[in-house]
Amino acid sequence: MDLYRLGSVGWLESQLIYHTLPRLGLEGLILLSPGSPYVCLGFHQDAEQEVDLAYCSAQGIPVFRREVGGGAVYLDGGQLFYQLVLSREHPLAQGSKEDLYRRLLAPVVAVYRDLGVAADYKPVNDIVVGGRKISGNGAGEIADSLVLVGNLIVDFDYDTMVRVLRVPDEKFRDKVYKSLCDNLTTLRRELAAVPAVAQLEDLLVQRFAEVLGPLEPRPLPPEVYREVERLAPELMAEAWLRRRGRRSSERRLKIASGREIIRHAHKAPGGLIRATVEVADGRFASVDLSGDLFFYPPAQLAVLAERLVGTPVEAAEATIRAFYAEAGIDSPGVTPADLARALSSGS
Amino acid sequence: MKIGPYDFPDDLYYDREHNWARVEGQTVTQGVTDFGQALAGEIIYAEAPRVGREVKQGEPFTSMESGKWVGRIKAIVGGRIIAANEELEFDATVINRDPYGAGWLAKIALADPKDLQTLLRASDPAFAELIAAERKKYNK
Repeated sequence: MDLYRLGSVGWLESQLIYHTLPRLGLEGLILLSPGSPYVCLGFHQDAEQEVDLAYCSAQGIPVFRREVGGGAVYLDGGQLFYQLVLSREHPLAQGSKEDLYRRLLAPVVAVYRDLGVAADYKPVNDIVVGGRKISGNGAGEIADSLVLVGNLIVDFDYDTMVRVLRVPDEKFRDKVYKSLCDNLTTLRRELAAVPAVAQLEDLLVQRFAEVLGPLEPRPLPPEVYREVERLAPELMAEAWLRRRGRRSSERRLKIASGREIIRHAHKAPGGLIRATVEVADGRFASVDLSGDLFFYPPAQLAVLAERLVGTPVEAAEATIRAFYAEAGIDSPGVTPADLARALSSGS
Repeated sequence: MKIGPYDFPDDLYYDREHNWARVEGQTVTQGVTDFGQALAGEIIYAEAPRVGREVKQGEPFTSMESGKWVGRIKAIVGGRIIAANEELEFDATVINRDPYGAGWLAKIALADPKDLQTLLRASDPAFAELIAAERKKYNK
């Protein structure tokens, strides 16, 4: 298989090259890093809902919609990208999604372990260290190819990541920031000294070759550069970026596989209930409840929120009912079912 | 009819990409089969195709996402999109729960009835062979 080891490239090329190989019927493994930062939006996301486009524009941060799934992410030279393009007929492209991710991410897990980082594959498509995500991955069908893209996270700009996201309020942003810091890690955090990029690339080549077979380094063919030039206006067009994507009445932000932060509001007869929850593997990891409801004794609302932490999402209503009985809660026009709906209807 | 644990209604047509077609006069409703939704896993988004768009049989015309994986869906027949299931944009998991009912994807005004001749019926031996091979391939 062809190996394209491209080093630091323009941010746009860091996305366009893997979009062009399928269109040209080419296969290959691409290794590169972007020379400047940008926001990369998932194929089905809604740009206006997910990203603070005005902020990005004011800061000169480009925003690009890719043809691969997953969420919005702030990318820069702190990550080493691997991008694998396989024909849909390739033997390694067969099987279930989980088979594919497990098989094709095994080299990346191995590289982390080579570096002394105790990484594991976490279905469906995460690589984790002690439960913290250390690699972002997504896949998609482009033309007649399967494309897998991901990164070794050497370093990560947590501050800018949360700043470029569209959030309902700063409290939500703070929650996202804290969750990212707690649940997303980097080689810089895990190792006393981070190896040079060349060494990381050598390890990726070695480990991917064990799965893909011999990797033949070569320069990008001229037709790839021509296709990049042809494709750029189409994938840079405002209409492409702003195409309609997944919209929701709630704000839902995925931190890692199985972990999301959700803001939802439910209007009960007795008032509006706002809930901001972090859900991890089907259980509440944190809960904030507020709104213009009458809840007596008022201090018990925060106690209830704390009581819900660790509870399975589907057990929210039962937990709230038990709390109401225990604490003697009075909330005219707001029932335990209303609170449960605010907490879990979007979970 | 059932093949293994998967339902394949007898009154529908099927292609090799795990799509189904319900033919009512010149209108074909397309969706994803029970087996197709099982392969996909929890579907988090299904794009509603643009009404009025012309589609060709076997060519991608919309997409779905599950597990950060974007899958393209091919038109089961050629024609013009006359309706799209916009409800899927709010809750795509209905495809998982009710693939042959509320989980329909699009309605196509059939351009050439000959397209139906390339499709399979649940009772066709070739269809049973296809599903058996796919179940083995995907360990489903």
